[in-house]
Amino acid sequence: MPAIQTWELSKRYGETLALDRLELTIQEGEVYGYLGPNGAGKTTTIRLLLGLHRATSGRAELFGIDAWADPVRAHRRLAYVAGEPFLWPSLTAGETLEFLARLRGSDRGEDPAYRDELVKRFELDTEKKVRALSKGNRQKVQLIAALATRADLLLLDEPTSGLDPLMEVAFRQTVSEAKQRGQTVLLSSHILSEVEALCDRVGILRAGRLIEQGTLAELRHLSAQTVEATFAGPAPELAPLPGVHVTQTAPNALRFEVHGEIAPLLAALAPHQVVTLHSREPSLEEIFLRQYGQDRDEDERHDDASSGARR
Amino acid sequence: MSATTTRAAARGAERALVRRRLLDVRVMTVACAYVFAIYSYVQPSGYSSIYKTTAERVAFAHSFGTSKGLRLLYGLPYDLATVDGYAAWRVGGVLAIFGAVYAMLAGVRLTRTEEESGRLELVLAAPVGRSNVGWATLAAIAAGTAVAWVAQLAGLAVGGVGLGGAAYLALATVSVIPVCAAVGVLASQIAPNRALALQLAGGTVAVLFVLRVLADVVGLTWLRWLTPLGWAELLRPFAGARPEVLLLPAAATGVLLALAWRITVARDIGTGLLRDRDRSAPHLAMLGSPLGLSLRRQRGVLIAWAGTLAAFSYLLGTIAKSISPADVSKSVNREIAKLGTGSITTPTGYVAFVFSFFALFICVFVCTQVAAARREEASQRLETMLAAPLGRRRWLAGWIVLALLAAAALALACGLLGWAGTSTAGVHLGLGRLLEAGANMLPVAVLFLGIATLAYAVAPRISGPFSYALLAVAYLWELVGALTGAPRWVLDVTPFAHIGLVPVEPFRTVGALLMIAIGAAAGAAALQLFRRRDLVGD
Repeated sequence: MPAIQTWELSKRYGETLALDRLELTIQEGEVYGYLGPNGAGKTTTIRLLLGLHRATSGRAELFGIDAWADPVRAHRRLAYVAGEPFLWPSLTAGETLEFLARLRGSDRGEDPAYRDELVKRFELDTEKKVRALSKGNRQKVQLIAALATRADLLLLDEPTSGLDPLMEVAFRQTVSEAKQRGQTVLLSSHILSEVEALCDRVGILRAGRLIEQGTLAELRHLSAQTVEATFAGPAPELAPLPGVHVTQTAPNALRFEVHGEIAPLLAALAPHQVVTLHSREPSLEEIFLRQYGQDRDEDERHDDASSGARR
Repeated sequence: MSATTTRAAARGAERALVRRRLLDVRVMTVACAYVFAIYSYVQPSGYSSIYKTTAERVAFAHSFGTSKGLRLLYGLPYDLATVDGYAAWRVGGVLAIFGAVYAMLAGVRLTRTEEESGRLELVLAAPVGRSNVGWATLAAIAAGTAVAWVAQLAGLAVGGVGLGGAAYLALATVSVIPVCAAVGVLASQIAPNRALALQLAGGTVAVLFVLRVLADVVGLTWLRWLTPLGWAELLRPFAGARPEVLLLPAAATGVLLALAWRITVARDIGTGLLRDRDRSAPHLAMLGSPLGLSLRRQRGVLIAWAGTLAAFSYLLGTIAKSISPADVSKSVNREIAKLGTGSITTPTGYVAFVFSFFALFICVFVCTQVAAARREEASQRLETMLAAPLGRRRWLAGWIVLALLAAAALALACGLLGWAGTSTAGVHLGLGRLLEAGANMLPVAVLFLGIATLAYAVAPRISGPFSYALLAVAYLWELVGALTGAPRWVLDVTPFAHIGLVPVEPFRTVGALLMIAIGAAAGAAALQLFRRRDLVGD
């Protein structure tokens, strides 16, 4: 049974369609990266999964439990980190951890030893009151509370916002541990290197729709590979190849963006005096930016077409 | 950039700041103006329609003017046999107290609340100085005072008070506003957080009130010179006006604001003169449930409510004997009863009258508890809690139970301390009867708790103002209705018409059961509806 499954999950706020027929399946033990720019619908998805907001249509299940109809049962198996740390200013960090742990009840109690370890790892001062903590430190309180539960499912909504790079390392280590223990993680994030380092599978959300989904390898395959070549003499004129986009970067250097098979390009380069040849896979950031750039181009073209039609 | 454009930019910034400040306190100010206008209209018009002849007015003046119990609330009467003199006493006294509370809250809202939220930092990061912010705050206080003055003037004028006299009376009443706003502003410089600023400012206003009470009731008349509420009386509208007394509130406002300014320019933004305790050893008590956490966080508020109500019950009890039944004609007594207060000239009638006020306060209290639940949701802390295996209905039910228990504790504290007060004064009413008078207030509190919770479940964003407004209308309904001679069935619309005036009347079981039933039904519906809606942030 999947940890998360949604069927045509949609949410409308007044005029805005925040989430449009989302079909998401995340298996137990999977670490899923949920990407998208601000306002794409990531937080909406998580609120629907938590049963905090009610779906306009479609439905969501966590471990086979309906997210809206039976939230309490579903929540026994998950822990959540909100994008913004909204906590009680008059409690100390330690009291907050205690309260959040007790809210889960005794049956699925967390591991106090692991919590203490996390407090050390994240260097949290537990005697400080929440109102005196910086945003990053408040975020740590939430993170420790959630990660210490060892819940089957972790819903993390931009969990590292406000953390410094050292704490970011601690976070990655902790999520890796969770993954080794077999916990499922939904990681909504802007930090693409973090998603690249941690996630088995990635979904890209745009304007409420899941526009791309797959393992990193699959996404890379869909995207262009970059090949850079320098030549002994001036760069040669190559005959146009299908799926290859050429740019001259220096008098003796060319860059190729290759979609699909790379063999025809290598064959075309073979007769020339190639001095160096670099080939690299696109980073997630490049995939993400291209995805958005491409869509924006399409939108513009679409706009042009419609304004042309009006004329 | 040339000097001219710099100046123009500064003027633009100043305008934007003033606008922002006015918007910050708009709800409070409009509510205050509304109460000022309505109250100023109802009292004089009701008086002139009930007491038509001079003889009746003289009899009224005699019976009411000598009642020290009433002085506590309304202050010192100068001439109750005229419409103007009655208005000065009945309107001026009550609205001055109301205005003081409004001004104190607005003063804290304009300064410490902005600072605590972090918005002040954002403003000061713009090319805007602390002095600009200070002037904008001052402008907002001045505007609030002016709005209250206009509202009261309009109410009095329409109610039949001469324009000139009304203008002066309104001026006397609103003279407390700048002083008490300055108290709020100064408290906000001293305290490092909003809660403490409100406690300091609220405590100060309470002391200023007690000084006036001691001056008017006990006879320590010189104390009147120490409090803005006393100055409002010393201005003596319609009784040998002394406008030079206005120098006192003006000077006090100046001194308080100057002090506040000196502290402001010398301190770090986000701190106060007093230090916040940023660290504490863990206290794990009451962290076991959301109810426990609410109780823990509301502790101070609950103690303040209980302390205030208990102190007033005791104080009001000790002067129960000063009400003399002698010299009051039967016809006047009947007319007094029309004011919705029963016969206040007997100790039991007086106690019943006092407890009918307490019923209103307990209803306000339950509404503040629902508003506190709403704040948990608005601040999104509720999301953090509900992501745990905690049902929404259980969470909301916890708040309701807490509000109910606290309201019951407040009601019984009123009864107990009222009994202690009357016993001190040598009036023996019996503990049982006073506890009954306390418990008598609970059904209406249950009703408003249910309605406020239902409003919260259905329309969270507007539920707070809605509940307070409904409560105000329901409470003033009978008073306004009685004064304007509306038929019985119209008066009976408000729940306050169905509370027996214990201990002078018996407890009204049917009305009480009905209120509890409606309150419980509204509460149950609220639990279901709350389960079915989206959580709504700020």
